Amino acid sequence: MNNGTWLIRREFWENRAIWMIPAVFGGLLLIAALFGQVSIPRLTTVEESHEAAGGFLVIVGGLFYLVMAVYSTWYLMDCLYTDRRDRSILFWKSLPIADSTTVLSKLLVGMVIIPLVYFAAADATALIAAFILSIRARASIGSSLWNGEVWLQVQVLWMYVIFTTALWYLPIAGWLMLVSAWAKRAVMLWVVLPPLLVCIILERVIFGTQMATHVIMRRLTGLPSVSFNGGSKHMWTHDGGVVDNAGASSMTVWRLINPSGFFTSAETWIGIAVGVVLIIAAIQLRMRRSEI
Amino acid sequence: MAALIEARDLTKKYGAHVALDRANLKIEAGRIVGLIGPNGAGKTSALRAILGLTTYQGQLTVLGREPFRDRTQLMNECCFIADVAVLPSWLRVDHAIDFVAGIHPRFRRDRATALLAKTQISGKRRMRELSKGMKTQVHLALTMAIDAKLLVLDEPTLGLDILARRAFYDALVNDYMDETRTILITTHQVEEVENLLTDIVFIDKGRIVLDTSLEDVATRFTAVSVTPDRVDAARAEKPFYERHILGRVVLYFENADPGKLQAFGEIHTPSVSDLFVAKLSGGAA
Repeated sequence: MNNGTWLIRREFWENRAIWMIPAVFGGLLLIAALFGQVSIPRLTTVEESHEAAGGFLVIVGGLFYLVMAVYSTWYLMDCLYTDRRDRSILFWKSLPIADSTTVLSKLLVGMVIIPLVYFAAADATALIAAFILSIRARASIGSSLWNGEVWLQVQVLWMYVIFTTALWYLPIAGWLMLVSAWAKRAVMLWVVLPPLLVCIILERVIFGTQMATHVIMRRLTGLPSVSFNGGSKHMWTHDGGVVDNAGASSMTVWRLINPSGFFTSAETWIGIAVGVVLIIAAIQLRMRRSEI
Repeated sequence: MAALIEARDLTKKYGAHVALDRANLKIEAGRIVGLIGPNGAGKTSALRAILGLTTYQGQLTVLGREPFRDRTQLMNECCFIADVAVLPSWLRVDHAIDFVAGIHPRFRRDRATALLAKTQISGKRRMRELSKGMKTQVHLALTMAIDAKLLVLDEPTLGLDILARRAFYDALVNDYMDETRTILITTHQVEEVENLLTDIVFIDKGRIVLDTSLEDVATRFTAVSVTPDRVDAARAEKPFYERHILGRVVLYFENADPGKLQAFGEIHTPSVSDLFVAKLSGGAA
């Protein structure tokens, strides 16, 4: 195993929440599936069944995605700060590991590995919950909530979402890691305060513009409109789109996602460039700041 | 052979505060060197620079490398314990061994496990469940299993009780030290380390005030215990420090002729701690 692999194992040893939160969250959803009220309308056609299966998978995945977004944000904010606070950074730095390797391993965990863990947990939860719900609602549902073809499409969808999320939110991740490597205390405050001050004091009060506000809001909420087809601003309507078309064509997920649009968007590449700069800055800080 | 550590005009500033002020230092291989100074003298800044943990001005080479630029490569041949309390609280003992074994090319797992087998520490324990003394043993086992050319210890026994401190230094000298290794220790508790050092470096206000081997201390420094009536005569030989104890005066001389000093009273070689006090207070006077 190389250093990177060991560093990723290390993150799992330190942050057991990486798998415990999705496990507990999945467990709660299963309890809800077991004991909650089941009110699924009777499905008679194949289309309706596909629609229900797809919608179900997307809702379960979406819930996991939201929890994942919160946890990953917290993880990235914390990852270059905790070991400085408890001084264990002095142990890690006594080993022949480049600071760039350390920072990049944490970025990889925050942006790719944690989403993959949540994705696996969402799949497992959806599989078991679909089974439970199908049995509980057998009388009314008329068919299974489980559909292999729809399931495969949703897998493709999630891989695409993880991939585009990691690239789109790279500047946000870079900012979180930069503050994490820099702050002496109150990381969250330092994450929020500078952008807020720029937006409110500098722009609104002094210049009377809202450019930074627009840029930041666009970065936080603009991903679906860049990575998916269609004029609507909301991702969930697109996901609904998958489901609506699921019966008509087996390849509808390819119509929904818009990789060429995503990769030809200037916003994507500007974001990646800003992210790279912020991450390089975080590495430089990591090399210089050992203790608080 | 070139010196293992060589610093020329090493300077480190934190804003207006000068932690290291054009310090010069040369450490040869195979020595046990004590970097000794009062709190805030610049010991830790010097170590941070030597270990590549911080930027600095001036010239510094450690094992032929520039520490800050080449920290990763340097850590292949050098290891350090900067205060024993820094093992992360969530880390399990067996995971710590796995991790270092996976990362460090010179780590000998059998050695680490043999060292730990002598203790009562189970591999499944997390660091936060261990006492400070036990954590020290784990950290020592991890560090001593690395075949390093240079071992740096920064206040290694801070916060340990006397038993753990003694065990730490005994293990260091008996199980670790040999002629291929060099150890650099910082401490402000001089008494604790003085009989295991081969060299001493005194640092004060960011400057190196003394850099010598202990063999040289005996020829270079002399202390004379003088009765009050002979003090004035002895003072003519220009002591750099004097100390009044129980009606007698101890005068400290550098590069003086012991034969001449014998006339004033009983002469002896000052201990490292006495020399430390003498050098630092004398410099200030």
